Amino acid sequence: MKAEAQALKGHLDVLLLATLEDGPRHGYAIKEALREGSGGRFDLPTGTVYPALHRLERARLITGSWSTVDGRRRRSYRLTAKGSRQLAADRGSWREFAAAVTALLERRPWPATP
Amino acid sequence: MAGHALIEAHLAVLARHLPPDTVDELADGLTETYRRHRDDGVDPDAAARAAIAEFGHPEVILASFTRQAPGRRAALALLGTGPLFAACWGPSLILGRAWTWPISPTATAVFALLLLAVVASLITAATSHHDYRRTRLAAAGGAGLVLLDAAALAAVALAAPVWVWPMALAVPASLARIGLTLRSLPTIVTR
Repeated sequence: MKAEAQALKGHLDVLLLATLEDGPRHGYAIKEALREGSGGRFDLPTGTVYPALHRLERARLITGSWSTVDGRRRRSYRLTAKGSRQLAADRGSWREFAAAVTALLERRPWPATP
Repeated sequence: MAGHALIEAHLAVLARHLPPDTVDELADGLTETYRRHRDDGVDPDAAARAAIAEFGHPEVILASFTRQAPGRRAALALLGTGPLFAACWGPSLILGRAWTWPISPTATAVFALLLLAVVASLITAATSHHDYRRTRLAAAGGAGLVLLDAAALAAVALAAPVWVWPMALAVPASLARIGLTLRSLPTIVTR
């Protein structure tokens, strides 16, 4: 796991939900969407993405369905209505958090203390 | 068909621990990874090794699944709420003078042994970190707990000469635990 992936831990669920916003994907495609969408920074071991997907499915944030591709069984996932609401809420929270951190980290004069 | 002996061996390790549906899903992901390397012109052996490295060591994958296994989570929940049930049932049995109830010593001993077995199986499931199959012991522990709750309720209904107020907490609590445990058992067994 790359160093950046360690920072991903608390945010993995919302990022997985985001990869499904444009439509259903199977596990490998989700992992690739994470990697490509982050410019290669979030390159998780593929096998560890599946437990997270199963957890999201048990929470009814995503739902899975089976198909057959090249003779193999494939499970694809899509967002549920609950998952879409969760994604929207998490996205809003993240924007507020990121704006606050950015405001603090940007170089500017600190207010003088009396 | 995964397409390479190394990949088949990797999947065989996972198949010894994980449910068949999960292994099918992992097989699809691993095969996709392998094929991507092959499409990039990598030779089969190198592609298989690269795919396995990218996919993750079986121990890492199994640990990820085990941490989130329904059985492990159920076992933790049942163990975590155990003291609350003890706090309800303890006063019920003491104030109700349970030692005077017409219950055979054999039944009492069986109850005690089953309680020990339930606790042992739940602890085993809850403390599993890499062995997914061990988390399934939570199903046996949960089923045993349902029996214990049912036996306790039956004892109160049939053998207790009087009702004492802690039973008003203990009885609904056990009924709720029976319902919730029965609802979670299929998931523990099949996932």
